[in-house]
Amino acid sequence: MHALEGVLLLDFGQYLAGPFGPMIIGDLGADVIKVEPVAGDGMRIGKPFVGCQRGKRDIAVNLKDPAGLDVAYKLIERADIVHHNMTAGVANKLGIGYDDCKRINPDIVYCNTWAYGYDGPLAHFGGLDPLYQAATGLEYEAGAVRSGNEPLYYRFGMTDTANAMLSVVGCLAALYHQRKTGQGQMLWTSLLDGGAVFASDAMLVDGQPVERPTLDKEQRGIDALYRLYETQDGWLQIAAFRDADFAALCDALALGHLRDDPRFVDMRSRHEHRDPLAAELEPRFRTRTAVSWSLALDDAGVPNEIPLDPKAGEAMLYDADNVAAGLTAEYEHPVLGRLRQFGQLIDFSETPGRIGGPPPLTGQHTRDIMEWLGYDGVRIDELREAGVVYEPDEHYRERFML
Amino acid sequence: MAGALDGVRILDLSWGIAGPLGVLLLAEQGADVIKVEPPGGDPFRAYAGSHVWNRSRRSVTVDLKSDAGREAFGRLADSADVLVESFRPGVMDRLGVGYDVLHAACPRLIYASVPAYPPGHRFADRPGYDALVQASAGQQFEQPGWRMGPIFLHMPMPSMGTVFLVPSGILAALIARETTGRGQHVTTSLLAGVFLYTTQIWQQVEHASAGYHDLMGKSYPPGIHQQMIFECANREFVHASVMSGLPPKRSQDEILGLEDAPDPFTFMSMPPEERAVINARRREAFKHHDRAELVAEFQANNHAIEPVITMEEALSAPHPQLAANGMVAEVDDAELGRTTQIGVPINLLGTPGAIRGGQPGVGEHNAEIWGELGYSDDALSKISGVV
Repeated sequence: MHALEGVLLLDFGQYLAGPFGPMIIGDLGADVIKVEPVAGDGMRIGKPFVGCQRGKRDIAVNLKDPAGLDVAYKLIERADIVHHNMTAGVANKLGIGYDDCKRINPDIVYCNTWAYGYDGPLAHFGGLDPLYQAATGLEYEAGAVRSGNEPLYYRFGMTDTANAMLSVVGCLAALYHQRKTGQGQMLWTSLLDGGAVFASDAMLVDGQPVERPTLDKEQRGIDALYRLYETQDGWLQIAAFRDADFAALCDALALGHLRDDPRFVDMRSRHEHRDPLAAELEPRFRTRTAVSWSLALDDAGVPNEIPLDPKAGEAMLYDADNVAAGLTAEYEHPVLGRLRQFGQLIDFSETPGRIGGPPPLTGQHTRDIMEWLGYDGVRIDELREAGVVYEPDEHYRERFML
Repeated sequence: MAGALDGVRILDLSWGIAGPLGVLLLAEQGADVIKVEPPGGDPFRAYAGSHVWNRSRRSVTVDLKSDAGREAFGRLADSADVLVESFRPGVMDRLGVGYDVLHAACPRLIYASVPAYPPGHRFADRPGYDALVQASAGQQFEQPGWRMGPIFLHMPMPSMGTVFLVPSGILAALIARETTGRGQHVTTSLLAGVFLYTTQIWQQVEHASAGYHDLMGKSYPPGIHQQMIFECANREFVHASVMSGLPPKRSQDEILGLEDAPDPFTFMSMPPEERAVINARRREAFKHHDRAELVAEFQANNHAIEPVITMEEALSAPHPQLAANGMVAEVDDAELGRTTQIGVPINLLGTPGAIRGGQPGVGEHNAEIWGELGYSDDALSKISGVV
């Protein structure tokens, strides 16, 4: 059995912050049905789309047609969770707002992932990840703006992922509560709040900022003993702020005299004098290769790693230990062929996760799902010919990129 | 009002970010979280963020190296639904409170482990500080910075991925337990947290063109999103967006006083050299505008834009939407006094979450919790290791 076996989630979302959460819930064993417009998800354009749709079944249906909306209602009747990232009012206008869903299925868990939030001065705006990295200080700190640099955007889809994952936690908490009490409910999360989680170490005391670590202009680190050093042939990350690790580092670098230097006597004073300390260490690191230093520091028990060049993921996705740990997954996609990306990120001893397959084509499971809902073949053909539903045909590749 | 996770008791033995902050997401939806610390306290308490990450819970200390401590801990585990720990694989076993032992004694207990690297991985015994995982797992290389080569990511990104995997795994196991009646071992890692942020950038695809990989690929200077950061007057920065979901009234270029500029989508599809020319003109124009006025004007014309600020600024002159979302919260902290911290980022409208107080002192609830389990005051010092 899978942890979420028997749970049905309807994913009405598009782009990333909507669909990514349902994909993760699907990996935990839930049956996830992507309810897609007949014209396709607005983001069927390659990597970003492929990365957040695996394992789902797909029904393509025009919700603006009453017959199409009826298909959606039959699905909602059977669902545990409805999930989407539409902006203010759009779901209500389509007839799949919380009140509509609750009328059809009183126990439903209904989740909306927003850009800014549910209500408030900017709630009517949509927006993309960079806005929220700006608003929550991520770009300011990443770029080391206070040292004279420009802000820097993290290219890892930060707040999209945070928003999606907050929605996963919220949906599962609401589902647990629903299983215990029979009560469904509506919940929401946002890109903006996701950004705030990343900066959750920021704090004011009596209105004044509490100091937290800042990055240097060269973006090497936040302390002389928690940073990257340039070696003869590349970089080395060390983490040697504890007293014992600092002492071992000094010995390994043949800089034993630093151990007795009053400026470097404890963690606090080493941090205070991080610039002169780094100036002592830098020339030593430049005298040998990264591997040579890394082995020497390993022998001395000093925490260190050589930064890996992942080569657009290849080095990590084909690493034998990552594969053995289930952190990678591979499947056949009808258009893209062999497709590999990250795998199961949570391991369960009794109820393992599963990946249901590659990202679906638009409407790939329209017929199966409609038959399950009780539509007969004649009616399905009628609705398909009327453009109310879609399933892949010989024109698929001209119509959709993926 | 009832929380969604009322009645769920979680023992949090984890240190650092991923465990405590991941558990916080559950604590503030109603779970009863007990921070279980060694007699000297969680060593990560020295870090400022710990006040936020460890709030909304009680604290006990226990000396797991003593028989009395281990016996009492067994009784505490029996009262719990979930245990979370973040030590290297094998450490809990050596303390006599590993999964096998506790699962046999408490079959309903969900045991969540959050090491840096998964058990069995060749890195499993290596130190697991966040930046070391950033390095070994390729994140530092994947992020272009202001010089060539790997850069240190200010945000502890591996931990900040695992933060979401911890509560997701626990909740899935709680839901499964409703069917099976049994607990289980749930394991994630900082390395798994790294993979969480690779969905747009790490894919190996058999039939894909170079263009497929270039979209969202690493580049110098950094890609299209980075190029939408502009400097205004007084060296203040904004990040403008290409989409707001709203119909624009005046165009961004009109507001800036630029004529004949391409629309945003044409701009995005232009070769980098042509984009650079247009961007240079835009960059110059932004510098002649006061940031606050420009942001107001953009937003009034339905363009999404944000000032690039520090999180401390977002809390102190509260960002209006963060405030509206309840994300600027006043929290009384026993040690620091009156603090402003982030609020509760998951909004369950039927069972609203809430902050349940600041970070507890080390062992603040020893008498209360060990007392609930039937221990007299005399037994406390032996269990808690505190005289």
